[in-house]
Amino acid sequence: MGLITDKLPGYVEHVPGGSILITSIDAIINHSRANSLWPLAFGTKCCAIEMLMATGAPHQDTSRFGAEVARQTPRQADLMVIAGAIVKKMALRMRLLYEQMAEPRYVMATGSCAISGGPFMYNSYTIVRGADEIVPVDVYVPGCPPRPEAFFWGLLTLQKMIKQGESIRHPNIRKKPVLAMLPQGIKIEDIHQQIRDLLEQENTVDVLKAASQKTWSAKVEEWIEKTSKNP
Amino acid sequence: MDRENLEKSVITLEPKAHSRGKADRAAVEVPAENLQNLMRQLSQNDRFSFDMLLDHTAIDRIGEGKFELVYNLYSTEHAHYLMVSCLIDRGKPIVPTVSSIWPIAHWQEREVFDLFGVLYDGHTDLRRIFLDDDWKGYPLRKDYSDPDMLEFEK
Repeated sequence: MGLITDKLPGYVEHVPGGSILITSIDAIINHSRANSLWPLAFGTKCCAIEMLMATGAPHQDTSRFGAEVARQTPRQADLMVIAGAIVKKMALRMRLLYEQMAEPRYVMATGSCAISGGPFMYNSYTIVRGADEIVPVDVYVPGCPPRPEAFFWGLLTLQKMIKQGESIRHPNIRKKPVLAMLPQGIKIEDIHQQIRDLLEQENTVDVLKAASQKTWSAKVEEWIEKTSKNP
Repeated sequence: MDRENLEKSVITLEPKAHSRGKADRAAVEVPAENLQNLMRQLSQNDRFSFDMLLDHTAIDRIGEGKFELVYNLYSTEHAHYLMVSCLIDRGKPIVPTVSSIWPIAHWQEREVFDLFGVLYDGHTDLRRIFLDDDWKGYPLRKDYSDPDMLEFEK
């Protein structure tokens, strides 16, 4: 497998028709990786109940996405689901587990504790403020705890990222599907237009009116009136 | 025994103790030098027979410059609860251990040492239990601060 992804693009692209072959191989590799993610169940706190246990149960089922093979050993897993707050004592061990996972490895931070420290962000002496201080995170799933449906949204986003954002032409680079996650009915052109309009609006100055719109202009007028009454 | 009788009997047992008040169960307060004696009698005397130390914590009364050590006792035979508390000096927090009376106190005293810095005389293995062994400071003290603890801007 490593041979295909490391050496093949270099040899094959020069051959006529080579890039089409690489694109097809890409599609197959990404499809198989995305549809059989094996989670490493890294549940430290309450999120584990929703993200790992409830999603494994029949009512909301990760097996629909091919991700039911949850492993406890990082050697056999490729998706690390961080479910719960990370304390400083655990941070070292978590880093060790991350480094023991084989590439390609993905990390999903679920729950507000794993995203930013959550409710413990201010006055805790042991909580690490966000799992992304320890490992690089690919998908963040907000919630406290997130519903299992939110976890599946995260899983589908991750699958989209694998299918569209990875390629054996650039094996260690991942393009996150930010544009795919826009809310319903909003397009990237709308956002561009709004930013453009806002910039224009803020940077147009009507010189005649600008002087009279300052807060001190009213005070200056009052002062002039007062001093003109008692010279 | 109900709450008032319990408090009265404990005070007869140890005259230096007095009722603590402000608790939803029988609560007494003793000075530190009578603590171990009182604890031993509470566990061995058949009228009380407090065979279970439910919890042992501390309260940092920084205004008075004292730690208040709290021992929550329960008797499985008579089914009554008692809270025994003891004020010790914050600058020199040393108390005798009760782990010879209730073995669970071994770890509970390690916890209070870890978070408050209270030293136990006679404890066989007093070291940190939750935090890393090389952690500096005692986090549950009111004057503890850490660069990681962000404060609200008021």
